[in-house]
Amino acid sequence: MGFRLKVEGPSTIELGTTIVTGVKFRTDIPHDSNARSTDMGSTVTITGKILTAVDGDPFDSTRQLGLWALVPAEKSDCYRKVSVEVIAASQVVRKYTYPNAFVVDYKEDYGDVEGVGSFTLTIKQKKDKMAQVAVEGGYSVS
Amino acid sequence: MGLRLKIEGSETINLPETSIVQVKFGADIPHDSNARSTDLGSTILITGKILTAVDGEAADDTSKIARWSLVPAENSDCYRKVQIDVVNASQIVRQISIPNAFVVDYEEDFTDETGAGVFTLLIKQKKDKMANLKFEGGFSGE
Repeated sequence: MGFRLKVEGPSTIELGTTIVTGVKFRTDIPHDSNARSTDMGSTVTITGKILTAVDGDPFDSTRQLGLWALVPAEKSDCYRKVSVEVIAASQVVRKYTYPNAFVVDYKEDYGDVEGVGSFTLTIKQKKDKMAQVAVEGGYSVS
Repeated sequence: MGLRLKIEGSETINLPETSIVQVKFGADIPHDSNARSTDLGSTILITGKILTAVDGEAADDTSKIARWSLVPAENSDCYRKVQIDVVNASQIVRQISIPNAFVVDYEEDFTDETGAGVFTLLIKQKKDKMANLKFEGGFSGE
């Protein structure tokens, strides 16, 4: 399975299938509710590799994700539009769109045994804008 | 064991035994009660595969479950009728009907190491409608 991550804000961050290694989508609802709760949120966790540029290639834009995670809440730039595509066998299995996503967790991990670093990005949709979250899928890659 | 899931609401979701991996049924009763408690609930955990369509066949219905998990509580469509069949050797071992089910947790997990995604759906019966839950089985089917 391949993944494509696109973050649109003041600059566009695009990470392709060679970088992103996993995607977890989750709808957060209180587990102790007796009936359907209005307290609903949505979280996406994206894991990937931090590659080193060789042969004069441009650097991947994972550093931009780290910079986004550090944007203070006072700036409107902390909310960005995120879309994540899960692609297999020329089919878009899922496309998640979060128009007002903000970072709740960002981690980078490096060790002396691997040639690449890894990152974990956890984002949420702004809770009052939950209606704008879109989950699509099941069509051919255009 | 073959596990089949059917969800009826504004749309019908059908997932056959090729998709569903595991079903866990639980009756939720307070563990610290000294006598039989009236506080009775029921939770069902369903785990399955998110398959990619090949050879031009239609995509599986798992994306509809993702969208169901995002239906707000204000919309009556957040309650749907769920039926789970446990089929083995032409016998219906269990047929569990949850007529007013709502989602309390939904997760989708994709990695680059597997060809199929995994979903986890946690549903509950609306607590004041617990009497309508049907727990049948032990008859021949197919």
